[in-house]
Amino acid sequence: MAASKEELLNRLSDCVLEMEDEEVTGVAEEYVDAGYEALDGIMEGLVDGMNKASDLYDQEEYFVTDLLLCSDAMYAGLDVLRPHLPEEETSQKPRAVIGVVEGDTHDIGKNLVRIMMETAGFEMYDLGRDVPLDDFVTKAKEVNASLVMMSTLMTTTMMGMPEVIKKLEEAGIRDQVKVMIGGSPISRKYADDIGADGYSANAVEAVKVAKQLLGME
Amino acid sequence: MAEIRDFKCTYQNSAGISEEVTRGLDLQFPDAYLHADTMAQLAVHIRKTEQAKFCELPFCHTVEAEAMGGIVNLGDGRTGPRAKEYICTDPQKLLDLPDIDYTTGRIAEVLKACRILKEQGETVVFMISGPFTILNVLIDPRYVFKAMRKKPEIMQQVFDKIREELLRFTERIADAGADIISYADSAGTLNIIGPKNMEWMTRTFTWPYLKEAGKLTAGRTQIALCPKTSFALTGLGLAEWKRIPVGGKIPYVEACLQVGNQCLFTGQMCLKNTGYMADGKIHVLVSTEE
Repeated sequence: MAASKEELLNRLSDCVLEMEDEEVTGVAEEYVDAGYEALDGIMEGLVDGMNKASDLYDQEEYFVTDLLLCSDAMYAGLDVLRPHLPEEETSQKPRAVIGVVEGDTHDIGKNLVRIMMETAGFEMYDLGRDVPLDDFVTKAKEVNASLVMMSTLMTTTMMGMPEVIKKLEEAGIRDQVKVMIGGSPISRKYADDIGADGYSANAVEAVKVAKQLLGME
Repeated sequence: MAEIRDFKCTYQNSAGISEEVTRGLDLQFPDAYLHADTMAQLAVHIRKTEQAKFCELPFCHTVEAEAMGGIVNLGDGRTGPRAKEYICTDPQKLLDLPDIDYTTGRIAEVLKACRILKEQGETVVFMISGPFTILNVLIDPRYVFKAMRKKPEIMQQVFDKIREELLRFTERIADAGADIISYADSAGTLNIIGPKNMEWMTRTFTWPYLKEAGKLTAGRTQIALCPKTSFALTGLGLAEWKRIPVGGKIPYVEACLQVGNQCLFTGQMCLKNTGYMADGKIHVLVSTEE
């Protein structure tokens, strides 16, 4: 007997929560073959699982490594479901540019923030790691971003952050973007000191702060 | 139940390579990062600029990984060497990487730089990176985390390989005369890998490595731990704090040197916090197994 839509949605969600990046592909294919709507599969299945993982992260049951593996499963499921989505709607998502500042290559935290932001509906432009400071400004202008998000794990490279803020001012777009920063040595005080708009200690909180800064909550 | 607390890094004493530090130096970058004599020159210049009590080597966290086959962007006078691109996506491939040849390349030069600095009468703190920091140069960490969950036996072999390599490196650093080996694993901290992985790593990698390293360096070179590592050891009951008196209010690094042979490991404070003062005492780590 074919599985019900609800049953398959639960399995999609569970696959993400349990980090089953191989099993999720089969479940997603079964879901599509059964003729159910891909968008529901994404939102009520995969994203639901990611949100549950995020709750567990909040409760300190899951950690960064767990969320990364959950996201692997989510993206594996998305690869199957995305081609079955109807033509993209024209409603525009808020856009954010994200990257690890020049000199630093530690990108675990940045990747996690990008994933959680994508899950929350942001259109993310990931510049990667060791990003030349000018690139943040160039990309923000190019995509008309609302947010510029910077991360670093190293004390030696954090001074790049105020430089980017200065460059945004020089480019005349500082008032059009909110700047968020994060990373191990970063603190709220440092964010205040350099004139950043927001700081978050972790990826889940980053989404909340981003939404607050953009008046989405 | 064991509980590991985290130590929050601060940024008040950011150190190392920057444009301000290298400006005006008669050195070419990144060439200066490649040769023992220029490394030594740069280390002294940074020490003077920061009014620190010690010279620090190397200027990055990529030396070990590069010597294992990693690809490094050597940087410039503004930013030091860092990882460039990953060399593999399969942790199994890490097992095929060659053993480090300590007679060639940047790793040989940095050991030579240590000797030069000691000949000049400098105090040398030699930074050594833990496994996640090394792996961060070689492979995307997500493959490591995935393998730790799904192929733990492979990762155990990878960590064993890195531990053996770090022990060989540790011995050579002590042979080169470093006063302190500073051990940290900034890419493998509690808030990144979580308490379960942290406990597993501390029990199976960090503590076995440190105990062996302590034997190799005893009486010659002190091992100063990143407080995040210290907290993991004490949180799991593998080590405990012991208070040792020191002479007056002195910089932390001086206190570490003063207690020298009285302990295997220091680790109360981050050595980069150059303004931190030990006020008549410091807390050192002793094994609870003895």
